[in-house]
Amino acid sequence: MSDVSPSPALRRGLGDHIILAAVLVLSVAMVAPVLWVIGLSLKDNAELMANPNSVFHPPYIIDNYIAIIGTSAVFRWIVNSLIVSVGLTFGTLVLASLAGYGFARLEFPGRQVLFVIVLFGLAVPEQAVLVARHQIFSILQFHNTYQGIILPGLSNAFGVFLMTQYFRAIPKELDEAALLDNASRFKIFWKVLLPLTLPAQATLGIFTFLGSWNDYFWPLISATRKEMYTLTVGMASVQSNFAQSEGVGFLMAQAVFAGLPIFIVYLFFQKYIVTAVSGAAVR
Amino acid sequence: MTAEIDIRNVSKRFGSLTVLEDLSLKIPAHEFVVFLGPSGCGKSTLLRMIAGLESIDIGEIFINGEPIGHLPPGQRGVAMVFQSYALYPHMTVRQNMAFGLQNISVSSKVIAERVANAARMLEIGHLLDRKPGQLSGGQRQRVAIGRAVVKEPNAFLFDEPLSNLDAALRARTRVELAQLHQRLKSTMIFVTHDQMEAMTLADRIVVMNNKKIEQIGSPMDIYDRPATRFVAGFVGTPQMNFLNVTALATEPSGVRVECGALAVVAPFDAAAVGRATMLGIRAESVSVVRDGEGDIGATIDVLERLGDRSLVHARLADGQSVVANEAGQTRLKVGERIGLRFAGDKAHLFDADGVAFHVREAVS
Repeated sequence: MSDVSPSPALRRGLGDHIILAAVLVLSVAMVAPVLWVIGLSLKDNAELMANPNSVFHPPYIIDNYIAIIGTSAVFRWIVNSLIVSVGLTFGTLVLASLAGYGFARLEFPGRQVLFVIVLFGLAVPEQAVLVARHQIFSILQFHNTYQGIILPGLSNAFGVFLMTQYFRAIPKELDEAALLDNASRFKIFWKVLLPLTLPAQATLGIFTFLGSWNDYFWPLISATRKEMYTLTVGMASVQSNFAQSEGVGFLMAQAVFAGLPIFIVYLFFQKYIVTAVSGAAVR
Repeated sequence: MTAEIDIRNVSKRFGSLTVLEDLSLKIPAHEFVVFLGPSGCGKSTLLRMIAGLESIDIGEIFINGEPIGHLPPGQRGVAMVFQSYALYPHMTVRQNMAFGLQNISVSSKVIAERVANAARMLEIGHLLDRKPGQLSGGQRQRVAIGRAVVKEPNAFLFDEPLSNLDAALRARTRVELAQLHQRLKSTMIFVTHDQMEAMTLADRIVVMNNKKIEQIGSPMDIYDRPATRFVAGFVGTPQMNFLNVTALATEPSGVRVECGALAVVAPFDAAAVGRATMLGIRAESVSVVRDGEGDIGATIDVLERLGDRSLVHARLADGQSVVANEAGQTRLKVGERIGLRFAGDKAHLFDADGVAFHVREAVS
């Protein structure tokens, strides 16, 4: 009697096909809203108001993009978001690297306790400290300033933890070799160890930049003047215009426009982002 | 460019654990000294204390008469080659070698000269623009040595630098290190647990065990006249045979030592009588003869054919095991009855504390 069960190779082939189909379905599910947004952005506002399904057929126009360039505040919001995101990323990298080096390499009293306190920061939700922070920033007159939006994000417990672990993983023999090479503490940090943490810096930098770019909660509270809005806050403020006076097409064009910088970041740092995300998943 | 290193009454503790206890040692200039001992005996810690990577709890270390305990590692005039090589992975070979000199503001012209000279000497000139990740283990090892050489230190410190190399490369590098010492004439301290490295490289071996020095001597001194049972057992391959002494008596021709059915008469130090509890003899001093001949009969347990010689592991009637050396490729078989002849004048006696008594040296 012949064996009718599929061979292992055939079963493996079948499995591959199922996975491929699942990936295809999920990809379509991910891409469809993006295409939908792009489609809407290329339609006339009045036409969309009359018939939302008009997105599926021409004419497609670029008037909404012309309007953005001509009139919208979205440029200002993008600049604000860039200043905040770049400032926050740079500040986080500097502080987390220095703190990580300190926790990993320097002997000082209370080091372990301090590190545990930093780790506790991971467990404290932003909402828990919001009122107190708002009060302090009011007294300091930090609201509606860049430092007001940037400063809270600099206390990045995850960043300190990540960099500490990374510095710890670098063999101490390198420090010792550098000590024998007459290097000062700072030189060892700057010339020997810091360059070796570039993969961790890239991971932390990308996460921080994306997190900051997409952050909505704190900028919404701190930036109350329209010219200090970050992109997320600005976009939301337009969206909550119930009369839709600026139109859905115009709103979607703003969304596409706002997504461009992050798209460019993805284009240039794709390799690092994939590594960072997969690394985070393994961790 | 050499250093006389004087270690005086040095002790080291890590918390409640004592690693070195009241250790003193003088290393003359130009000497190649090997610290030999098992893992955890404190040899690497002592080297690191000389380098300045570990503090000195008690005692002091002097280099060329100057105390160095208070000096940071970079100002002690020593260079170290690490077991893991510790090359800076993001720098090229050239940058690795130049880094130490740049830190003391040596001119770039002098740096380039020294790097070129060291690279020529170590045959790594073609590797100067590569990074450590692009090098083999042997090449990295040479770069690590090169990084030490360019600094023109008073003393070189090697912390088990050959242990990551394969056997063939290790043997080659041993020879090259010996040549380097002859060329540079610097003081060199080499830490290893490999007695073969110690025997081939050292002017003097410092055998360490359990926080202290067991014996200091030339390689052949250590091999032929081990001061303690530990040294006798640690140095030499295969390990020295040890047999329990059952009786000792003074005779006109020397001391008669009985180990069960085995009796050996040799001109041992008379102080051994009444104190020795163990007889030690190396495999090459035990020869295999026909059954019924020699000093005692035995049965072959295991045969190790090493090509140029064979090691015969034999069991005596009382259950004690003896390894004998036979030149060439043996025709003996496992389970065969043989006789063993002991060269009594090559034997050693050890008391219960492990202190050795040797055969008196002939007065010429």
